[in-house]
Amino acid sequence: MDDALLPPFLRLLGDISTPAAVRSAETGVARETWSRLTESGFLDALVSEPDGGAGLQPADVANLLLASAQRLLPAPFGETMVARALATRAGVQLPATPILLWPVNAQGELLSSFAPLRSGSTHALVQRNDQVSLQLLAPSAAPVDGYGMPAATLAAAPPLASFSLGPNTLLSSSATLAAVGIAGAMAGVLGMTVDHVNTREQFGRKLGQFQAIQHQLAVMAEVTTASCTAARVALSRPLPGPRQLDAAAAKIAANDAAELVCAAAHAAHGAIGVTAEHDLQLYTRRIKRAAASFGSSAFWAEYIGQAHLSQDANAGDFILSRWAIPRPS
Amino acid sequence: MLDLLQNFAPVSLPPEAEALRPHVKAFLAERLGNTVPADIRARSWTGFDAEFSRDLANKGWVGFTIPKNYGGGGGGAFDRFVLVEELLLAGAPVAAHWIGDRQSGPLLLRYGTEAQRQFFLPRICRGEIFFCIGMSEPNAGSDLASVRTRAVRDGESWVLSGSKIWTTHAQKSHYMIALVRTSGDPADRQRGLSQFVIDLTLPGISVCPIVDLTGDAHFSEVFFQEVRLPADALVGEEGAGWAQVNAELAFERSGPERIYSSVALLDQWTTHLRSVGASVAATRKLGMLIARLATLRQMSLAVTARLASGESPLVDAAILKDLGTQFEQDVPTVIADALADDPHPIDDQELVRALAYVSLISPTYSLRGGAREILRGMIARGLGLR
Repeated sequence: MDDALLPPFLRLLGDISTPAAVRSAETGVARETWSRLTESGFLDALVSEPDGGAGLQPADVANLLLASAQRLLPAPFGETMVARALATRAGVQLPATPILLWPVNAQGELLSSFAPLRSGSTHALVQRNDQVSLQLLAPSAAPVDGYGMPAATLAAAPPLASFSLGPNTLLSSSATLAAVGIAGAMAGVLGMTVDHVNTREQFGRKLGQFQAIQHQLAVMAEVTTASCTAARVALSRPLPGPRQLDAAAAKIAANDAAELVCAAAHAAHGAIGVTAEHDLQLYTRRIKRAAASFGSSAFWAEYIGQAHLSQDANAGDFILSRWAIPRPS
Repeated sequence: MLDLLQNFAPVSLPPEAEALRPHVKAFLAERLGNTVPADIRARSWTGFDAEFSRDLANKGWVGFTIPKNYGGGGGGAFDRFVLVEELLLAGAPVAAHWIGDRQSGPLLLRYGTEAQRQFFLPRICRGEIFFCIGMSEPNAGSDLASVRTRAVRDGESWVLSGSKIWTTHAQKSHYMIALVRTSGDPADRQRGLSQFVIDLTLPGISVCPIVDLTGDAHFSEVFFQEVRLPADALVGEEGAGWAQVNAELAFERSGPERIYSSVALLDQWTTHLRSVGASVAATRKLGMLIARLATLRQMSLAVTARLASGESPLVDAAILKDLGTQFEQDVPTVIADALADDPHPIDDQELVRALAYVSLISPTYSLRGGAREILRGMIARGLGLR
């Protein structure tokens, strides 16, 4: 399933997720990107077939999500996919526009240090305890935040619809999608860095011929691979999607890798990498923002630590029972 | 680039492999009970217990992937994963049969003559003979291609001279499979190397155990003084030793033994926290380690899946081993730190001994089976550097 979807999706990304499109979407709305994405049908991949979707599970679209992150697709692709699937299951119709996920605590505060990027979105699914409501986003574009992109804010308007959902479902999905975004983007950074060190010469040799550089890139590949693995494991849970333990492992792997990958990539690129003109900064800004969104490593580690301490099993049996991959049905 | 990332797709163990797990758990519960202290369990695949290995062989669990017509279990890579995972999680003393089971048996099955297979494989599977691997030499550690130990043809036999070092449990093994030079000199690098199966009781062989910093003597130096080897001691093709050794490496680097070496300590610390209570900082440290281990286990399963489908994923195995051994080395550091965050004497002496042992021995985790720097070089080549 996955294998057949990927080539056409990569072709689509080649058209709609170019560095120029990514740049222009930062301040405006990527209408062309969104209309092409809507036409492609991928946004309804997780909606059941009777409801007009493809009836796929998150595992089937894992490669698509990682690839979209690798190309910095300037739209809330995974978020809208998840929102459509969950709302449709609950009998709630969503508008055809980009939708964000907005988990809040009992006091109604967003469970993230940074609000999701606006990315042309019009609505958000807001989850508080076991209730989800469809809410409008504030229409006026917020000023760009320190990362150079406008964040979304909720409109002060009554909810348009609501349905019930297991507590923390949207928190787990948001953290997982943040982890997927980081993991995929790191794969993009790794690719750029490999190209750079195989081209750029210093001291009469290609940078990639220096052992110090080789080892830095090897470590980048290791932690990127681990992040992608953890993200895929979280995406292997059928709808309603990842549980908190899955999201925790994925976000920890992504966050642990993020700082190292950004630092090593910038070290290898030198000063050109921090210029606005170079594409590396497009990745760096998104990776660092996503790492600080929907919980740090320590936040999620505390959840896992408590879960492990609250029962009797040893580490192996705990992991075997909680992280077993569901067999395809 | 996406290829590298796709290689680690999530894998669920086949039900027939999972079906083995309760049987292994039941055997281990009965055979080892709950009384083995954590510092002994922490030795696991360097813990030598011939009697345990023979009991395991009686269950049919030594040489589990060797075909049944050679006395093996006829199992697949996933079956072995489950078996080994349970043995390591229990801290079972598996060292006696470990090398024969993981490497020498499969090597002889693949490259040995029919006579060699008939002789060695059933004995390995019965837990009668134990193997060690002769790779490093006093002047060739990571730089394996520069080995100097030499076998010279003399009529129908070979005469072997030289020495091997850091050979795990050579002093307790019956046979060594050694990589030695049969032609050229060290300047010829990989060319002219061959593998021999050496009966360690032959005249001219002396084995000197080397005591390590924990007080154990798990490795040895082995000297060969004009040892006469029969013609059938050659394994595989003369001069093909380098290729044969490399074919083993993906197996050696991808198994659960590259992620679970510190798990006995991790479990002992968890028990301690459950008993005395855990601070938020300690809970977070524990959670970080569990999260990393959960991801590493999936990576190990993913590499196992590729081995099961007949591939030799050397780069993926190198990625897993480097990350896995880094995790194994971080466990004692994190735990020592967490304990010292709240400075007062620790009552749990078992925890102290396990922590000391793992802290001290863990530098070897990223030496054995391919040093960290060698692995990173391989990964870089896999990325297209050089």
